[in-house]
Amino acid sequence: MMLALLRTELFKIFKRPRTFISFGLITAVILIIELALYVDGEKFLAFASQGLTAQFDIQGNILNGYLITFIILQTLLIHVPLLIALVCGDLLAGEANMGTLRLLLSKPVSRTKLVFTKLLAGWVYVFALLVWLAVAGLLTAILLFGKGDMMVLKSTEVVIIPMTDVAWRYVLAFGFASVAMCTIAALAMFLSVFGENAIGPIVTTMGIVVVLTILSTLEIPLFNTIKPYLFTTHMVGWKGFFDMPVNYGAIGFSLAVLLGYTALFVLATIWIFNRKDILS
Amino acid sequence: MCLPVLLVVGQAHAQSEEALQLYQKLKQKIDQVHDYEADVSIKVNVHFIKMPLTPAKLYFKYPDKIRIVRQGGISVLPRKGISVTMNKVVPESDVTVLDAGTEKIGDKTLRILKVIPNQQVEDIVLSRIWVDEQQMLIRKAETTTRDNGTYTVMLEYGKYITQALPDRIKFVMDVKDFKLPKGVTMDYETAPAPPPDPNANAKRKYGSIEIYYRSYKVNAGVNDAVFTQH
Repeated sequence: MMLALLRTELFKIFKRPRTFISFGLITAVILIIELALYVDGEKFLAFASQGLTAQFDIQGNILNGYLITFIILQTLLIHVPLLIALVCGDLLAGEANMGTLRLLLSKPVSRTKLVFTKLLAGWVYVFALLVWLAVAGLLTAILLFGKGDMMVLKSTEVVIIPMTDVAWRYVLAFGFASVAMCTIAALAMFLSVFGENAIGPIVTTMGIVVVLTILSTLEIPLFNTIKPYLFTTHMVGWKGFFDMPVNYGAIGFSLAVLLGYTALFVLATIWIFNRKDILS
Repeated sequence: MCLPVLLVVGQAHAQSEEALQLYQKLKQKIDQVHDYEADVSIKVNVHFIKMPLTPAKLYFKYPDKIRIVRQGGISVLPRKGISVTMNKVVPESDVTVLDAGTEKIGDKTLRILKVIPNQQVEDIVLSRIWVDEQQMLIRKAETTTRDNGTYTVMLEYGKYITQALPDRIKFVMDVKDFKLPKGVTMDYETAPAPPPDPNANAKRKYGSIEIYYRSYKVNAGVNDAVFTQH
């Protein structure tokens, strides 16, 4: 029964044109970034690495596919949550808006199972989006810029990873990013419980992500105390795989925080949905 | 009265002549190598660079052509103006060589020569080289440049000692902290930032780059195209 329900939910998600807007937008952003870096990448890199090149002679293919993909991921993983909110915020509120929620609940499936099924469908969408990001981003970047050692510029250090040591890091990074985006999906779904219209949960999710990302990024002492507790602080944990050595303890902790928030949102969604009067 | 002065001047002149002769013998030995291709490993010991030991090929052709090649890889080398080859550690043009005494390093007593280029040689203002007179080898060099500060080069020899080709060269130089805005890099912070050190700017920081030469092909001919390929 649940499998049939899952198939139906997946059909509903992937039937909508809005779902494919996300894939199209990601592709467009990737191509724009790659074009810009193809034309002006050397200048950008010279500017970013001037603190290094003033002191050392750096030789080799620095602007290669691995670095380009890192830049794309860094940019897009700020925007991908918004694309996830667009679909997952609609999962319950959209049904309420269309008046089909009552019909759905008349089936012999518990509300808890329904929530899980919709969430699973949302997560399949998240995973598909990230696979597309990986394929479109990494493959096109390598085709255009070639492979090479990966130079990661951090605020106070530079990490240079041999090209033979990069691929597994990307696999794990995308895996981590999937978990982080699943947290966003769970948040959007949670807010969707309250809405009779999809716009509210979508915009609210976007707003929460934007505000918390700003709080996580700003270097202000007042915010430093709350940063470790924000899920947006831990969403960049995928970057931890591009360090030497990899701090698996910190990444594991970030993963635990994200899973904790996901569990919290899911349990809250189930609890509220089970007690909600469905009037539409 | 004049005699002691003449004796001192004479002695100084003799020492200077000896120093120049030693320098020329050293140069002659180094210049026997016209070209080489070496398999090297580069180790970077700089506090803000994390990088494993990286293999590369180093090509040299007399007098000053040098190229380090890593297939698709990135090399971090001492900045331009710091030479990685032996013949540039010992400037070749018209020089004044002074005897600066001896110093014991390890179990060897080394002769120190001060080499001052009489004409502008790249960036070099002054070189001090520590010479193993018995084996006619440079063990250490300290070079002061016009634009790139002072750097020290330490050399160790092994299989290729007769050709004065080192097994290991270590460059020690001043380094400054590397900084980029956190808002741009969006670092993943795994630990709280340490408190700022009020003396950070005052402290001089050093870094080193070591090049390990695993094997050489000496005087076997190196194509000029190697130095122009991209």
